[in-house]
Amino acid sequence: MKIPPFKEHNPPDNLGYWTNKKTGEKYGGQYISPLLIPNLKKVETGFKKAMKNKKFLADLEEQLVNHIGIVTPILRSKELEEIAGGEKKVGKIFLKRTDLHHDSSHKPVSAFSSVFFAKHILKAKKIITETGASMNARAVASACAKLNLSVEVHIGALDAEKVSLNKDITELYGADIKVCHDSTKSLLPAMAAALRSWQSDPTAMYVVGSVCGPHPYPLMVRTFASIIGRIAKKQMKDLIGKSPSTVFAVCGGGSNLSAISYPFYNEKSVDIFGIESAGKGIASGAHAATITSKAPIGILLGARSNVLMDADGQVDPSETEASGLDFSGTGPEICYMASTGRIKFRATTDKEAQETFLMMCKKTGILPAIEACYVIHAALKEIKKRKNPKENHLIHLCGSGESNVARMLKYKKDNE
Amino acid sequence: MNKTFQRIFAKAKSENKSCFVGFVTGMDPDYESSKQILIELSKYCSVLEIGVSFNTSTSDSSIIMSANDRAIKSGAKTEKIFQLIKDVKREITSDTAFVTMGYLNQIHVYGIERYIEDCKKSGVDGCIVVDSNNEAPEDDQIFKELTKNNMAFIKLIAPTNDSNYIKQSLKKCSSWVYIVSYAGVTGSKDVNLNNVKKLSKMIRKQSKIPIGVGFGIKSLDDVKKASKLADLVVCGSSIVEKIKEGSQNGLDSKNLAQFVGQYVKQLSEGVKH
Repeated sequence: MKIPPFKEHNPPDNLGYWTNKKTGEKYGGQYISPLLIPNLKKVETGFKKAMKNKKFLADLEEQLVNHIGIVTPILRSKELEEIAGGEKKVGKIFLKRTDLHHDSSHKPVSAFSSVFFAKHILKAKKIITETGASMNARAVASACAKLNLSVEVHIGALDAEKVSLNKDITELYGADIKVCHDSTKSLLPAMAAALRSWQSDPTAMYVVGSVCGPHPYPLMVRTFASIIGRIAKKQMKDLIGKSPSTVFAVCGGGSNLSAISYPFYNEKSVDIFGIESAGKGIASGAHAATITSKAPIGILLGARSNVLMDADGQVDPSETEASGLDFSGTGPEICYMASTGRIKFRATTDKEAQETFLMMCKKTGILPAIEACYVIHAALKEIKKRKNPKENHLIHLCGSGESNVARMLKYKKDNE
Repeated sequence: MNKTFQRIFAKAKSENKSCFVGFVTGMDPDYESSKQILIELSKYCSVLEIGVSFNTSTSDSSIIMSANDRAIKSGAKTEKIFQLIKDVKREITSDTAFVTMGYLNQIHVYGIERYIEDCKKSGVDGCIVVDSNNEAPEDDQIFKELTKNNMAFIKLIAPTNDSNYIKQSLKKCSSWVYIVSYAGVTGSKDVNLNNVKKLSKMIRKQSKIPIGVGFGIKSLDDVKKASKLADLVVCGSSIVEKIKEGSQNGLDSKNLAQFVGQYVKQLSEGVKH
């Protein structure tokens, strides 16, 4: 398959801001200690160079195709169409099978690309990254093993304590795992710890697991990750002769939403939906729904974006069953797209996602990541509401659920 | 230059010494202890730098992060830090400058104009905002408000910064500039005096602004060596460690203040030339 080349159609300004012209609100930027400014400039210059380097891009694409297995199928799911009311009522439903990637999620795409960039453009010897559910850590550690770079992974003490297949695999790939005992002992302080570690070792390269962090990370991660959407867009054209009517993706930090939806930003006929975790319900306060809960603008981990925080600016911990969505902010470009209304947001509770997980296993024979179940639930609800037999819906099945098996089996037994 | 800093620098010059800057996290371990510690430290410090806690800071070592956690647990909020400074200032007689150190999110949430107004009302003489990038619009606004109120905007310069970055920082920097002695987080390594020499030289090519040095200064010897190179010597993490030690040993606020005060008194003697 010939993969369409990347086209920039939503650039931030030179300082890394996306500005909402109506409200004047800025998203993004580079809020960081002076120590890290030169590192960021180096990444920024290197990234610009990389995007013009045809050999680098071709070599990277070859690796993504053959090592990550990025050309995953798009599956028409008649089972989900039936559940939503039948093709004659709601149209066709397609699943982008990103769960079939090497290391079983969308993360390896931006992780491998970032590590490949660090090795070949920045000539870095060491990679620093952070993780929550260890999906990013696993992907980065795998890339570092293949490309012969050392890797330091920062993980919150609470996340580290959880029995996790991904964490074990990360260790087998050879990562040096640093447990962080600060603050909420979760992804957020782990990310802060990774940034602090980078300050002490400017020759290393920091790899961010999502479209977050200071400029140029949000831009770079979504650019690398969007190859998923470019392939999906072409596949949909081959399948139905046009782009889909809707694109649905789950949103924590926003990397998998960016990955699938970025190539559709300019196509106004495509409705894009970002689905957040409503946890125990938005009203309970225990959730990870930054946009849906209308969280205010804050400055978190180097960027201006919507942040779950208290009235004094202390960041509130997010709460959700899905570790991959357990984040108190959302990437700046996504917040900007939400503010303009281009991306519409919905939220699914943990309970709804868990029920969807069981339904997917039983009715479709697919073991989805729990993260993907938030989007499948919300998509089915939205598709039923739209009730348009002429529509074609694309849902991003962003990961596989091996690491959710133990908890989901317990949930199943507890609820029988 | 801010008036308090003018007087402090003149006094230090007449006494042939550098200025000692003591850092503590505001309300660590609690309001009353922090108040007593600051009152005690004002006897030995020309400048008191007070940390406004942020639970997701990106440049503090675990020593300061733990202090932030203790302060937040004891109810630290931006407003309360201002109250603390007011209370301390009411009880001290020394001519000590007060500086707040924090992250932009707190100031942004509080409102930049309101934050600086309340700094002024509380008797704060200047601000350090660790993650305020020179090019960010918020940085321009902070600079504008501080200048309007004749308060210091203390910028950090790191060993990784080049002369262009220094030039850009010095444009907005006032009263003094803060040299970070090594690439790393607060208190994680030993002070690097070679970096200080190199950066001082680069700064001196562009400005006569007083120079402060911090990061890794934790012994009397460090203070002595640093004060030969700088107008101000900042000591933070090791003071915060003393607060933790005394507090873990169950000292009450008065005794904790004495315990930390003795340590700072001994350190501060190193600033004499």
